[in-house]
Amino acid sequence: MNVDEKTLRNLKTFKPQLESVSKRGVIVAIVLVLVILAGVYALITQIVKGHIVTGMRDNVVWGLYIVNFIFFIGISYAGALISGILHLLRVPWRTPIIRMAEMITVISTLIGPSYILLCIGRLDRLPHLVLFGRIQSPIIWDAIAISTYLSGSIIFLYLAMIRDMALLRDNPLTKGKWRNPIYRFMAVKYKDTTKQKELLNQATDLLSIVIIPLAILVHSVLAWIFGMTLRPGWHSTIFAPYFVVAAVYSGTGVLIMVMWVFRRLYHLEAHLTKIHFNYLGIIMIVLGALYGYFTFSEYLTSWYGSIKWDMEVLFRLFNPGQYWWEFVFAVFIGVLLPIVIITIPRFRSINSIAFASLIAVLAMWVKRYLIIIPTLESPLLPIHDLRPEYVHYSPTWVEWTLTAAGIALFILLFFIFSKFIPIIPVVRTGEEKDYSRLRKKVFEKQMKQLIRLRKRSDIPIGMIFLLLITFTAPAVMSQETSGIKTSLHLDFFNKEGAKSLVASLKGQEEGKYFPLENMKVNFEFVSGNEKKPIGTISTTAKGKATIEIPKKIISSGGSKGVFSFMATFTGIDKYKSSTSSVEIRNVNMELSFFQKEGEKEISCKAMEAGQDGKMTPIPDMKIEFYVPRTFSLLKVGEGSLSDGVANVEFPVTLPGDSAGNLTIVAKIEDNETYGNVEATGRINWGKPLPPMKIVKRGLGDTDAPLWMVYTLIILLSLVWFHYLYIIITVFRIRWLGKYAESKEVT
Amino acid sequence: MKNKNASRRKFLKLGLAAGASALIGGGSVLSAISKVNKPAGGDKVKMLSPEGKLMEVDRGHALCCGVPTSKEVRKGIPGRHFVMVIDLSKCRNARKCVSACSKMHFLQPGQEYIKVFLMQDSEDTSPYWFPKPCFHCDAPACVNVCPVGATFKREDGVVLIDNERCIGCKFCMAACPYSSRVFNWKKPGLKPEANYSPESSVPQKIGTVGKCDFCPDSFVSGILPDCVTACPNGVYYFGDKNEDVVTNGVEALRFSELVKNKSAYRYMEELGTRPSVYYLPPVDRSFPYERGFEELPEEMKKAYKVKRAHLKKFKI
Repeated sequence: MNVDEKTLRNLKTFKPQLESVSKRGVIVAIVLVLVILAGVYALITQIVKGHIVTGMRDNVVWGLYIVNFIFFIGISYAGALISGILHLLRVPWRTPIIRMAEMITVISTLIGPSYILLCIGRLDRLPHLVLFGRIQSPIIWDAIAISTYLSGSIIFLYLAMIRDMALLRDNPLTKGKWRNPIYRFMAVKYKDTTKQKELLNQATDLLSIVIIPLAILVHSVLAWIFGMTLRPGWHSTIFAPYFVVAAVYSGTGVLIMVMWVFRRLYHLEAHLTKIHFNYLGIIMIVLGALYGYFTFSEYLTSWYGSIKWDMEVLFRLFNPGQYWWEFVFAVFIGVLLPIVIITIPRFRSINSIAFASLIAVLAMWVKRYLIIIPTLESPLLPIHDLRPEYVHYSPTWVEWTLTAAGIALFILLFFIFSKFIPIIPVVRTGEEKDYSRLRKKVFEKQMKQLIRLRKRSDIPIGMIFLLLITFTAPAVMSQETSGIKTSLHLDFFNKEGAKSLVASLKGQEEGKYFPLENMKVNFEFVSGNEKKPIGTISTTAKGKATIEIPKKIISSGGSKGVFSFMATFTGIDKYKSSTSSVEIRNVNMELSFFQKEGEKEISCKAMEAGQDGKMTPIPDMKIEFYVPRTFSLLKVGEGSLSDGVANVEFPVTLPGDSAGNLTIVAKIEDNETYGNVEATGRINWGKPLPPMKIVKRGLGDTDAPLWMVYTLIILLSLVWFHYLYIIITVFRIRWLGKYAESKEVT
Repeated sequence: MKNKNASRRKFLKLGLAAGASALIGGGSVLSAISKVNKPAGGDKVKMLSPEGKLMEVDRGHALCCGVPTSKEVRKGIPGRHFVMVIDLSKCRNARKCVSACSKMHFLQPGQEYIKVFLMQDSEDTSPYWFPKPCFHCDAPACVNVCPVGATFKREDGVVLIDNERCIGCKFCMAACPYSSRVFNWKKPGLKPEANYSPESSVPQKIGTVGKCDFCPDSFVSGILPDCVTACPNGVYYFGDKNEDVVTNGVEALRFSELVKNKSAYRYMEELGTRPSVYYLPPVDRSFPYERGFEELPEEMKKAYKVKRAHLKKFKI
């Protein structure tokens, strides 16, 4: 593409940036790679041993990872909002900073979400988000919003690079074999024809309009993850705008810092002048003031309202023993210091503005920590755990190392990226008409006078603890057992005339009884001194063995109407033997229902068969009436037999099934003479159970509310339609370039 | 309507799947829970009464049998609404519920599905012991926020977690206002020989969330949850609200009469979560609250005291 001399000369100045790496640069890069490798080691440790290696526990379930996640998504605002808004407003001084801002956005939007992944307990189940995704969950909103935002940011960055790549394609600065084919491919045959230029500008304008609401939405959704919960300090209506303002504040801060670093690193004094720092500084103090206002509003309302849980969070923040100094730094110093430095002209210089930004960025990181941790340390129910790590969160070396690794990766990606394309948009800078005015002053003199920021190597505190980790062997639980006592209990059941014996077999250990399963129990009929075996039954899971008494035995009449039975467990392996016996009589009990003067009643008739088979009424016996329910028998009445008959009132208020059917059980229980006798009857006199309504649980349902689905589809399709349109525009630029090429040939 | 919803979900899933298919790679991760057919049964079903006696009831009254399929697990037992009533006047922090629960769920040391809090509502009121299982809310905040539907509310009122679906994001833990959930920070030490089912929550799975599940694996066969039977003082009453009966294993009471006569309340009703656990106020106590310290180890006593001092500081 054709450009003027000035631009070409300008391009040449970026040759060292693209080509050479200084010795110091190599060392820095190696250090960064080492820190990232340490992060990889920490990550592997976490995957192998589980999240136990982090400082997170049941109360503080989210820690540094989430703090970093919010922080990185926050600084991504530099590109989206700053460059988007400045582009739309056609602010003339934006040109040199726009690419850096976009790079911050893309890189931090790549790094930020990876912290969410670190926080997830089962990385292997990530596909579940797609397979089982529920759009009622703010996490799904977040995943959708961030991926959309990242796609938009990448397109935005790319659009802004097309012209420079076309320039580099036509005027190769380096011999680099790998660069030129990439330039050729990515420059999409851009020839800077009028039509192409028009299309490109149109696409960029469109995207900067789309990206602004999108960016606001991304951070709002992030805030809602916290705002939607019922936690003190989180459940706040201003959380979304509060997060957005804090994010732009920190994003601007990082942008200024990046500018400062590249300005020194690649000697961009001609491009990045004091005016850029001043203007961005002013934007920052406006945002800082806004952030301060939100903070004040947030804490004032919660302090004045003084709900007890809110007070507990505030207590933590205002308590010098807990988070007071962090709070002072994040809220007072982090806002007031930048404002003071930038507003007072005497203090205002490139270095001091960069320093103010550093303070603001650090303060914003600490603020995120103060949003997450103190709230999680103040659950609604007081923490009753005794282990200090469950009460108070302190990050471990794993978390610190991974935090450092994220920052290192951020810097490294910037470094790598700056080897690929000039950090300042060259073509557009060349087009700027009155740029010399901005370039006039280079403030080298002042730089010497002011605060020198020495680059401190970021050794994560946690690395020190690396050597101190101890490995605890998992406790092996073993239990030794020797002969276990068993107990057998034989019961007689006479239900509706069907007579059965039930043997309950239990083992006894450490004073506790437990049922024995799959053990053989022998049943015998005892007649005088003679024992006749009836059968052998294996116990069920509940330790019960049930056998029906053969009719033959009952009809034999027993000895004077009395029958003796015996059950034996012979013992097996470690279980010792046990026996039990029972004597029974042949009783016949019947239930009937009747109405007397409007009162509904239950009647029970009990007769005993003598040796001759003659039935006689059982005199004077307590009969209990029950209604069987899932876990228990509900006692509904009690009566005494008088001449073999007992009457009680029917429980008409008790719910039955849908037709009102209720089962009534009359019982003689554990009687010495009669054992257990039972009769059952069923009648529809109970309260009919209304048919079950399908309860709509709204958000809790498997399916999302329709309005939510429609909103999501509309929003997503709006954004992606624009993306698609922009991508088509890029292809149109390519076709136009091809057309121009073919014309040249002919 | 049902079809419409289904197709809508399909459409959404398709869209999402297309969006992230690059990330996923091959392999379906859908691990289906082992499907076992229900054994054929007659009209009558044998059940165990709390007194340990067998009884036969209509199938309509019995709960389902056999290992349920994953669909059945998510649906629950139709026509039921399980509730718990906790009588605070009887609790003396014996902690038998805690140990029984930890034992049956093979919990890692230090994990508790039931926690016993020492509560004091205000400076002048008396402290009391407050056992707290999962409340199985009817409007559960945890279920709302789950991104993958790993935790779900069943028709019978129970809130369960599918640990084979849970991705471990811990959002439910942040969302639950009652701190009912615990995380498996490391590999579970005890490995019971059992096939996993959300109804038993056993064995635990590393990197996922666990909580009190109301023991649906036992109550399908009419057995009360272990905390209920383990309590020496009969503090816990469990039952089906639709049947209008709750029992602590010793006595069975009409639910509606119990909550009415003893003015039961639900903890933090104002949060709108509609818990399924009701509390009977700590009036006419069976034990002075100091009894709760008796069997505790020294350090725990101290910790409870520290906690109380802390509460006083906030005047709560």
